[in-house]
Amino acid sequence: MTDRLLKDLADIVRSKNAGPYRITFDILFKDRERYEAVRGTGAIRPETVAAAYGIAVSEVSSFFEIDMANAIKITIRRPRAQGSSGDGDMYGCQHHVPLMLIRVPVA
Amino acid sequence: MAAITVLTPTGTLGYGFGDEALARGMALGPAVIAVDAGSTDPGPYYLGSGKPLVSDVSIKRELTALIRAGRRAGIPVIVGSAGGAGSGVQVDRTAALVRAIAREQGLRFRLATIRSDIPIERAKRAVAAGEIVDFEAGTPLTGKILDETVALVAQMGHEPICAALEGGADVIIAGRACDDSVIAAFPIWRGADPALAIHMGKILECGAFSAEPFAMDVMLGTLDSDGFLLEPGSLARRASVKSVAAHSLYERENPFRQSGPGHEIDLSGCRFEQVGDRQVRVRGARLAETPDYCVKLEGARLAGYRSIAIAGIRCPTTIRALDGILADVREKALAYFAPAPLGVVFHVYGRDGVMKELEPETAAQREVGLVIEVTAGDQELAHAACHQISGAMLHYHYPGVVNTSGNLAFPYSPSDLDLGPVYEFSAYHLMKADSPTELFPIQYEDL
Repeated sequence: MTDRLLKDLADIVRSKNAGPYRITFDILFKDRERYEAVRGTGAIRPETVAAAYGIAVSEVSSFFEIDMANAIKITIRRPRAQGSSGDGDMYGCQHHVPLMLIRVPVA
Repeated sequence: MAAITVLTPTGTLGYGFGDEALARGMALGPAVIAVDAGSTDPGPYYLGSGKPLVSDVSIKRELTALIRAGRRAGIPVIVGSAGGAGSGVQVDRTAALVRAIAREQGLRFRLATIRSDIPIERAKRAVAAGEIVDFEAGTPLTGKILDETVALVAQMGHEPICAALEGGADVIIAGRACDDSVIAAFPIWRGADPALAIHMGKILECGAFSAEPFAMDVMLGTLDSDGFLLEPGSLARRASVKSVAAHSLYERENPFRQSGPGHEIDLSGCRFEQVGDRQVRVRGARLAETPDYCVKLEGARLAGYRSIAIAGIRCPTTIRALDGILADVREKALAYFAPAPLGVVFHVYGRDGVMKELEPETAAQREVGLVIEVTAGDQELAHAACHQISGAMLHYHYPGVVNTSGNLAFPYSPSDLDLGPVYEFSAYHLMKADSPTELFPIQYEDL
């Protein structure tokens, strides 16, 4: 068993604004087997995602494992509202990298 | 119920679609063309300023193709969130383009415009009556915030659009509308199950983003009493269970529950089924009406005027000293222009320009791109402060400086650029409505 990066196990890892006050992350897997393998490790949880971004777990507003889509979905509160002073990513679509680089103990 | 096909030409009106995909889609016999033209996604500027998200050139070109196709087939064309934010001035601008199209193409039809502007006094009465709750803004809406708000709209549901269809409209230009309501209105007006129609709307509203390969292009949904069937207009694309399921997650927080005006949709029992190579059948959405009919308010207020300077930094000693330099020039600018308040932000690209405090990586940079951003009460002051900061940084002396001739590589002359007014969201709250249509007046015009 070796650690692998989430990006090498998932088909899609993406981030996007969900309204002006949230950024939502989707992780989609090619098939049920891969999805269940990653889900089963517990490497992708509110705690690990919060740690990857250096935020408190309370800033994770929701976490879903979606069997029908072979997907995991995490949403966080934006540090500042979309388009307000200091915001650097209007669509929140370039916030996926720390998630993509989370290590998952899967063969 | 006879099956009803909705054709959605693209994810955002003005962002394009294939002519062949439209022709093929129209050959499949849709009962309506429905398309979304905006959202809050591009930020608060379009609501605050009233400027259009997409150019008149693109909107007119695409509306011409859609209205011609709609008139030829004798089916309505519905546009929601006109102009980008759906404010009155944006509805007017889009309606003016429709009148020009009718004139130039020699077409006769009934145009309906639906406004979604909420008078500030109406919202204040709701605040006083305790009929407004926060959605996600994190703070309550107050009379003071409403006084500062320069543009306030509410998202309409399908009901005002159904009313315009009932009024005989051939082309409907609607203000701010729930993306899914724009697509769902016609089927619901014809008696379809609102749960299925709204779920279909959620998927179709992004056009062929739910297909593979995804694109801003034509997508069709055919609704019957049991579910709906999705198919892209272009034969170069297909709908797959994976592409449709993935899209069900896109840019929304909860994949199982979706709130809309007057209702909540439960998607936990949804099933996707591949039909042939290019179609996906969806069933299982359920709808519950909410006790109160609430609409989502979206407001913007003026946050000031902005000037920016863009520069590159290549010298390793400057990059190492950067945090100290930025803190010092900011402090000096604030003191120099006091008591006028300034907002000074530095975007340091190559380091943490995109993610700011969420950036976990700390590797040293070979080169950084710097955007100096100043927001002030007027444009002249913003420009003056921005130039003061960029000039101070250019000739800043710091311990260990090797190159004494300048710290910033400017790509432009002038170095300081005025970006005009800056807006921020002021309202993102739910307001109780007396009825689904009371806030959204319709006007008809026979062209």
